[in-house]
Amino acid sequence: MRPYPLILVAALSLAASDFAHAAPYSPKVGRRHPDFTLPNIEGGKPVSLSDFRGKKVLLIQFASW
Amino acid sequence: MHVPVWHNGTAQWVKEGKLAILGVTQEQHADRCRLFAQWQGFDWPILQDPINVLEALAVPILVAIDEHGIVRSTRPALAGFKADFLDKKFADDAPPETPRRTTPAIKEGSREPDWDALRALTKKNNTAVDWRNLGDALVLWGGDKSLEEAMVCYARAVEIEPKNGLAWFRLGVCHRRRYESARAQSTDFQEAINHWGKALDLDPNQYIWRRRIQQYGPRLDQPYSFYDWATKAEKEIRARGAEPILLTVRPAGAEIAYPVKALPGAATARAPDPDGKILRDVAGLVRAEVTVVPGQIRPGKSARVHIVLRPDPKWKAHWNNEAEPLRLWVEAPKGWRVSERLLTVAAPKKPVTDEPRILTFELVAPADAGGKENLALYALYHVCNDADGQCQFLRLDIPVAVVVRRGTP
Repeated sequence: MRPYPLILVAALSLAASDFAHAAPYSPKVGRRHPDFTLPNIEGGKPVSLSDFRGKKVLLIQFASW
Repeated sequence: MHVPVWHNGTAQWVKEGKLAILGVTQEQHADRCRLFAQWQGFDWPILQDPINVLEALAVPILVAIDEHGIVRSTRPALAGFKADFLDKKFADDAPPETPRRTTPAIKEGSREPDWDALRALTKKNNTAVDWRNLGDALVLWGGDKSLEEAMVCYARAVEIEPKNGLAWFRLGVCHRRRYESARAQSTDFQEAINHWGKALDLDPNQYIWRRRIQQYGPRLDQPYSFYDWATKAEKEIRARGAEPILLTVRPAGAEIAYPVKALPGAATARAPDPDGKILRDVAGLVRAEVTVVPGQIRPGKSARVHIVLRPDPKWKAHWNNEAEPLRLWVEAPKGWRVSERLLTVAAPKKPVTDEPRILTFELVAPADAGGKENLALYALYHVCNDADGQCQFLRLDIPVAVVVRRGTP
């Protein structure tokens, strides 16, 4: 038996429908930043923005070029 | 550079626990970013977004987010950062977060989604967005083994919705990644460029996508050198007594070239086989792959042509390095300008090798060009094959078609 069948299907349905309305990245001052999860460049472990809840965060999107 | 300035300017606050920095790199090669971070001393977590799931249009982007997860500034200034953000008390005064996910869901406490559930949902819904979502999950969490399945997903997404720029871009990323893997197909690089071109046509303001093409493109279209810093970084890291992060794909050619405002005229050179007397490589001991970047060129604009020559393992073919170097002759149509007409590749010191040999040159289309133009290239090389033990000096004709596209850029 899989551990999270109902919760996950619900989350996935939500994810799919939300993707339909995805728009270019444009965080709004005074609004909560949408959560995201991406692999760490050191080992690929998933890290979410929400892991930092409770701390002041400077989010930097960049490229080495 | 902007980010190192912020790193140095905030280091004390990070050390004191007043601030956390979270980086997201918008590039394909994680190890290049790791080398950059090692060089710059970035000691904060950096995440990778190789397929632009966050949909950033350009970088760098800095966002100050308070302890409640609320955005307090989208353009913070280092000068006022402490007073305006760090020292301020913020109330938890934003409405609940809109349940919008920008990345595929993964199982709590796991490194992966529930693949069976995700595949079943995708099949059931059968929308472009669902297929793209599955492709995203496969690229981010499925590992290298999932690349082909991700390509199938993105291909399905653009089949359902041909104007889905995100899916075109991500399909291009998959082709480029496979091109750099042991499973590379000869057309992968060109397909990556063509798919990125389609994505950019749909959204010309997407600079992350534009940069992917420029990374491999002509100097006339480059905003800066993309990876010229890598060699300097490695040298400085070694001087500090550390071993630099090893790069799996070393930046070369266009990736380390500097932009130019005008293409220098090709030096006078003589065709090495003007009468076509050298025997042709009819057996195919060496295979040529051609990639033109961008995939379609505008009149008066430039392109970079990448030629990769690979000894065919089917023949157990290899280069004979004791003879003269490999040469490539470029014959352009009338009115076209090329950066070089005769290119050579220096051979390694070992007498026998079988590595792919990469040659690139740039060309500029005349202002009145249109339609398809053909360049006549040929390579001359010394190659041996272990199948019958022969070593030969051979010529390989390499036709290159360049499509000139008129209309609005």
